[in-house]
Amino acid sequence: MGTAVTTLIKDSPPDAPEKRPGPPAAVKRRGRRENLAGYLFMSPWIAGFLLLTAGPMAASLYFAFTDYNLFDSPKWIGFDNFTKMLDDPRWQKSVEVTAKYVVIGTPLKLLLALGVALLLAQSRRGQAFYRAAFYAPSLIGASVSVGFVWRALFSDDAVVDRTQSFFGWDVGGWVGNPDWVLYSLVALTVWQFGAPMVIFLAGLKQVPKELYEAAEVDGAGPFKRFWSITLPMISPVLFFNVLLETIHSFQIFGSAYVVSNATCGPADSTLVYTCYLYQKGFKEAQMGFASAMAWMLLLAVALVTAVLFWSQKRWVHYEEAAR
Amino acid sequence: MGDNGSVERRTVLKAAGASLATLGLATTTACGGDSGGSGGGTVEIRFAWWGAEERAKRINQSIALFEKKYPKIKVKTDFQDYVAFWEKFQTQAAGGNPPDVFQNAVAFLRKYDKRSVLLDLKSQVDAGNLSLENFRAGVEKVGEVDGKLLGIPVGSNTMSLVIDEKVFEKAGIKPKAGWTWDEYFDALEKIRNTQKVAGDTGYFGIMYLYDLYLRQNGKAFFTEDGLGFDEADLTEWWQDGYNRVKAGIITDPKKVEQNKPKSSLAAGDAGSEFTWDNFTVRYATEGDSTYGLAPIPTTDGKETGQYLSSLMLSGSARTKHPKEVAQFIDFMVHDPEVGKIMGYDRGILATTEQFDAYKPADAPNQAIAKYEEDVAAAGVLGTITPHPAGTDTVEAAFLRIAGDMSQGKTKVSDAVKQFFSEAETALAA
Repeated sequence: MGTAVTTLIKDSPPDAPEKRPGPPAAVKRRGRRENLAGYLFMSPWIAGFLLLTAGPMAASLYFAFTDYNLFDSPKWIGFDNFTKMLDDPRWQKSVEVTAKYVVIGTPLKLLLALGVALLLAQSRRGQAFYRAAFYAPSLIGASVSVGFVWRALFSDDAVVDRTQSFFGWDVGGWVGNPDWVLYSLVALTVWQFGAPMVIFLAGLKQVPKELYEAAEVDGAGPFKRFWSITLPMISPVLFFNVLLETIHSFQIFGSAYVVSNATCGPADSTLVYTCYLYQKGFKEAQMGFASAMAWMLLLAVALVTAVLFWSQKRWVHYEEAAR
Repeated sequence: MGDNGSVERRTVLKAAGASLATLGLATTTACGGDSGGSGGGTVEIRFAWWGAEERAKRINQSIALFEKKYPKIKVKTDFQDYVAFWEKFQTQAAGGNPPDVFQNAVAFLRKYDKRSVLLDLKSQVDAGNLSLENFRAGVEKVGEVDGKLLGIPVGSNTMSLVIDEKVFEKAGIKPKAGWTWDEYFDALEKIRNTQKVAGDTGYFGIMYLYDLYLRQNGKAFFTEDGLGFDEADLTEWWQDGYNRVKAGIITDPKKVEQNKPKSSLAAGDAGSEFTWDNFTVRYATEGDSTYGLAPIPTTDGKETGQYLSSLMLSGSARTKHPKEVAQFIDFMVHDPEVGKIMGYDRGILATTEQFDAYKPADAPNQAIAKYEEDVAAAGVLGTITPHPAGTDTVEAAFLRIAGDMSQGKTKVSDAVKQFFSEAETALAA
């Protein structure tokens, strides 16, 4: 996606009115025909985007301001859905659960990803194998079947519970315990640290070796080298990962839904935002309220993203001054 | 590192970040559906129900018989578990594409009648495609709402108390008809004291049981269009429930969650559980003990508040084949062979043809038959409680909020307030 954007920026459109004083009409026509062909080739995507993304999004924006039960036509109620939301204890609970999940899960995942990436960045035997092995969970982690496996692992009297009980710490399985079950979801996301790890690895590879050599000559220890060279040099990659993982984890749904056996319980302890949204929309048929919730989530994610972008001035180091 | 390298990297990263940020998330869902086509003189109808594998097997056998008798009608089937079924059905119905014929329950009649989803089967009865003859007493009116015939009962069921017979025997308790709530809770205490097993799996979250309790006291859970009790009533019911959890005579709610989808009764963490009598077959397959059906405790020593409810078959108002739908329903509720195949899986067979054809051979099914016989003989059966539109949502909220309350996650007073607020929304929708 990133590369596509850059190419677009670099290669300005073919018929841009540049220093071409006046190309013959035939050339102009050919240019236009090429454009047309381009749009034609893009049309399946454009149609898909309009029908499956833009259209439904516009509709959901409208529904957000209505009372809509799927059967009767929507009734305009202005901001009622939003005010009702703020007063709804279950909505507040869902915000709390989601915030907890994002705030605990994302940093843990990134720390682990960075840690393992640092280990794997060094050349050693079987390097490719380790990288693949650590990356594998990211490929399958989002699937429903892994959710079921997780549920089985963390149930009462299952592997985790027995191990824990062996050390005299019996919580009776995480899945049924409202104080614990969210952490099983955190564990599931942390376990999928492979994707950010690969990105970190790519970032680490690009840090010039000379910098480390110079620092070593100056007498910098490993920690100092990490702090003063590695971290600033990979800060753009870190920023990218923080952004990606934060946005991603706000949208957690599948694992909460499967691990809680489709209830988002017990006692609403896994009632993540999208799960409540789903319940409101598809169980209770309050589509207006659910749409309003979706837009509220979009706003929240946009806000967090904006804050991250604003903060990058302070800690993200884009290496350009040297040139 | 090359000159271009880092510049490029920077641009890429910035661009990637920016495009990510603008991507956002569209959480809307579009749904489409397929329509059952027909050709060559044969008609295809779609039939959907909720249930497990076992029910699916029986239904498929029944359909094979139906298709043999009506070779021009093909039945396409679909099934999920209860919750998933109604989610899917709601979406299909909203999209104007519900199955032609489907399993239904009392709680959903008004909800979907209000939205003109249900076929009034009266005209099909008049046309002679569907017979209302030979329904057993007590169930024949279950599918009638406001003068419309919206569902045809397939079997009757009633709330019951399932007990672990070994546990009750060891504690020296013999439940008998007309026993009171005090006697029931004393029994639970005795069970806890003698066998270190909590008694009940959590009676206070079951809407249909609270309904019976209210009916014993001259009220009911629902009126025609709202709730038939007030906050003080529910506060008392839940406060007592909470105290009993704390006293250890009700199974620890955490344990109940952990045992799911198994019942805590079958898991050996309880001595009794209130549920519909036709559900009781599951305990014998899930657990190792022997399970029996006991009378519902009473307030005055006589009235249990019980009534006969029923699963039904309903048609879609939008079906293109109302006649075939009626013929299918007629076959499924009257054909004796179907009765033999289905057994009491969906309650005690509703028509005399099927009831007489099926003689249960196994203990659990015999027990169900005897239970409903006894209840009918005791003369405690009343008329069914109204089920306004929104009943399903209210039932789910009742169970969920009672669970939060029993776990100590919500104060009883807050729980009661929350329930009334959610119920109001659901019933107004």
